[in-house]
Amino acid sequence: MPTVTIDGQKVRIKKGLTVLDAAKKAGIWIPTLCYHPAVASEASCRLCMVELDRGDWRQLITACNYPVRQDIVVYVSSERAEKARRGVMELLLARAPESRELAALACRMGVEKTHYPSVTESQRNCILCGLCVSVCEQVIGRAAIGFAGRGAERTVAAPFRQASEDCIGCGACAAVCPVGTIKIRLHKDEREIEISPFKSRAKMVLCERCGMPMYSGQVSREAMSKVKIGRKAFTEYLRLCPKCRRTETAERFASVPVRRE
Amino acid sequence: MNTAAAKFAAPADIEAFSQAVRGKIRADSKVVRVCIGTGCAAKGSRKIYELFRQAAEQSMDDVKIEAKCVGCHGFCERGPIVVVEPGEILYQRVEEPDVAEIFRETVLGGRVIERLLYEDSATGTRASKAEEIPFYAVQKRIVLENNGRIDPARITDYIAQGGYSALAKVLSSMTPEDVIAEVEASGLRGRGGGGFPTARKWRSCREAKGKPKYVVCNGDEGDPGAFMDRSIMEGNPHSVIEGMLIGAYAIGSEQGYIYVRNEYPLAVEHLGTAISQAREMGLLGKNILGGTLSFDIEINRGGGAFVCGESTALMASLEGRAGVPRAKYIHTVESGLRNKPTNLNNVETWANIPAIINRGGRWFADIGTKNSKGTKVFSLVGNVRNTGLVEVPMGITLRRIIDEIGGGVRDGKRFKAVQTGGPSGGCIPAEHLDTRVDFDELTKLGSMMGSGGMIVMDEDTCMVRVAKYFTEFLQKESCGKCTPCREGLAQMLHILGRITDGEGQVGDIVRLEELADLLEGTALCALGKTAANPVLSTIRYFRDEYDAHIRDRHCPAKECRGLFRYEIDEEACKACGICLKACPVDAITGEKKVPHVIDQDKCTLCGTCWEKCPFTAVMKV
Ligand SMILES: Cc1cc2nc3c(=O)[nH]c(=O)nc-3n(C[C@H](O)[C@H](O)[C@H](O)COP(=O)(O)O)c2cc1C
Ligand code: SF4
Repeated sequence: MPTVTIDGQKVRIKKGLTVLDAAKKAGIWIPTLCYHPAVASEASCRLCMVELDRGDWRQLITACNYPVRQDIVVYVSSERAEKARRGVMELLLARAPESRELAALACRMGVEKTHYPSVTESQRNCILCGLCVSVCEQVIGRAAIGFAGRGAERTVAAPFRQASEDCIGCGACAAVCPVGTIKIRLHKDEREIEISPFKSRAKMVLCERCGMPMYSGQVSREAMSKVKIGRKAFTEYLRLCPKCRRTETAERFASVPVRRE
Repeated sequence: MNTAAAKFAAPADIEAFSQAVRGKIRADSKVVRVCIGTGCAAKGSRKIYELFRQAAEQSMDDVKIEAKCVGCHGFCERGPIVVVEPGEILYQRVEEPDVAEIFRETVLGGRVIERLLYEDSATGTRASKAEEIPFYAVQKRIVLENNGRIDPARITDYIAQGGYSALAKVLSSMTPEDVIAEVEASGLRGRGGGGFPTARKWRSCREAKGKPKYVVCNGDEGDPGAFMDRSIMEGNPHSVIEGMLIGAYAIGSEQGYIYVRNEYPLAVEHLGTAISQAREMGLLGKNILGGTLSFDIEINRGGGAFVCGESTALMASLEGRAGVPRAKYIHTVESGLRNKPTNLNNVETWANIPAIINRGGRWFADIGTKNSKGTKVFSLVGNVRNTGLVEVPMGITLRRIIDEIGGGVRDGKRFKAVQTGGPSGGCIPAEHLDTRVDFDELTKLGSMMGSGGMIVMDEDTCMVRVAKYFTEFLQKESCGKCTPCREGLAQMLHILGRITDGEGQVGDIVRLEELADLLEGTALCALGKTAANPVLSTIRYFRDEYDAHIRDRHCPAKECRGLFRYEIDEEACKACGICLKACPVDAITGEKKVPHVIDQDKCTLCGTCWEKCPFTAVMKV
């Protein structure tokens, strides 16, 4: 097992794991935005820059995807690494000045404000970390959304910027979005769930008892197709909303005659 | 040996075939070579070829006359170019009506037509052969040697000139390790931009675990104005294929890809023809020349994005995914295309291989400087007299390229800078013109070799605008994946925009330098890492121009609108009244015989008077 020396502290980790894994093990915090353990690291936000000692020179690397293959020495809190991370954060703040989540992370990094003006436009504070795209493709297996446009014009969108037919309305993208750009909207009247801003909508399953919309029908079908045992119990379980299920269970218990000694 | 439909079964067949083809060429035969490279073709050279072909067919003369299409000669500015053999007489700017005369006088009569020869504008002397023209005399052609000589659509032409003999040599007498050692001895470094030692890359890929292995040719050539690789692919496609075959043998690969940008239809066509001819003759496919090497090549047409030339983006694009770079902490020689060991080289790199094998690594290493061997092809453009494609030995000075090959700055203007290295290269000022062209020397000056763009700029060029132009190009071509490149370039462009608009702020240069530092250190791929070079090199050598814009609100080159004034030269003004009538805001006053005057308060700096004055009495100050 190779040893990673981070800011003087030594940790041993399995070959092939990353500098970020090593830092976690050592209890050293490195800010990240586009990193998520469930998906492959793209290292696109460049916030996790640290310095790697190469003997006669030091190289800035991204901790989230730098594979540890032999003993290495890295610096998280060196002046150059901190300056790099702050610089990247300031650029992000200029892009998404209204994001509270981003401001909070900046604050934790000791960046109070950006000295850059806002020159690129973001779609509702989107910082293009790409987690939504990765999750949809790698975890959900749908690839309903992707990147469109180049350079500063890059955005996340469904193909041709239309509502995607591949979207099943699961909301995984909204769940991983670190800056709250993606939102789940309920349209009760139409009994639809909308993943905003992608415009895609999915029909919802209604509670059989009270009629409340519960979850996307496609998600439940998709999920059910993966259930191999106890299908009947599951189907039964998914019929009602949590509240009605509780009521029904209570009623069932109530209807059972109480035996007395 | 039959020269019609041969299929080679052994290495020795190639030499036999080559001799047979050459034996058929009669000593008294005459050839008219017409350039059909993209440059000449755009000026109608295809039609000229057709006319020569018809003339040759109808000719009653009992000697054999042949009209032939050939690839780019490099002197595109003087196209269409026609060369007549024997005598190697080079005619330039040939037009359709000239064909009959050339045929009658030169081809049949053996007389030279003075009017169509190249004339040195400085001395007035005419040159009848390429080697007498300074543009060619200073060059050293290895890669482009056969461009302009052979018909790229005929494999027999290539073989007659010694083509595929390097492959025969490799397969008959060299081990893969021998091949790599020979390339190593040549000192060849990648011509695609990075200058990475080719042999070292090959060896890493050969030693990498995993099968299959791929060899890839990078023909994306996204630099604006560059056409080195295009000319090689169009003019001598077999040299690239032969290079790849040799590489495949050395590395242990059975499948190759050539990635060509879609805007290069002729390159795609010629490569396609060359590949099928090579297959028919048994030079691609299974058990090539009866040995163990099996190898084939597919052409892939790229969408034309600049970033697709970056190795990992190119491989993603080859896989059918979006052409976006990824981290290279694991090298592509270990895990590239489809996560298999992949060796990527530039077109020109591949095209150098056959000559290195044939003439030996030592021969190649004798050309050039300590760490940069061989030649380099440049596309010389901008404000020089002779623009075009040039191949020079490494180590030649920039001055010789610009003055001797390029004929110096056009229109008697003063030289200001030469930009090398493509969009993320740098601008080199006059005081460094004696620098030798060499990977390391150019990098030391804050520029780079890049893939071989060379743009000459004269005194009327505003260097802040140049920086802005390249930054804008890179910002548009950035894939947008990573924060520093996407956001940082937008910030830089914003600052450069306000400087050229006359709204620069004190501290802007420091801000630019800070952003440059951030990009260099944190961007994901080399596009972003090097994107600040145009800005940094212009700040380094032309800081006074930045200062003039920011502090004095003045553009010394008088290119930035609003940062200079128009005035009328009293002496030169003939009081003709043309400007007075043309001025859209009536800012000019004057009467007959009285020099006119511009009212600076009214003037909107539209420049109409400057354009209209027949006596060039309107000046920018
Ligand atoms: C943004 C960018 C664009 C590039 N474009 C090209 C190109 O058009 N052609 C090319 O051969 N190399 C290009 N390169 C360099 C390639 O990534 C790679 O280094 C090269 O093809 C390797 O071949 P070589 O070793 O023979 O030079 C580019 C690199 C970057 C970062
Ligand atoms: S540096 Fe620029 S081109 Fe390269 S990955 Fe980042 S955004 Fe894309």
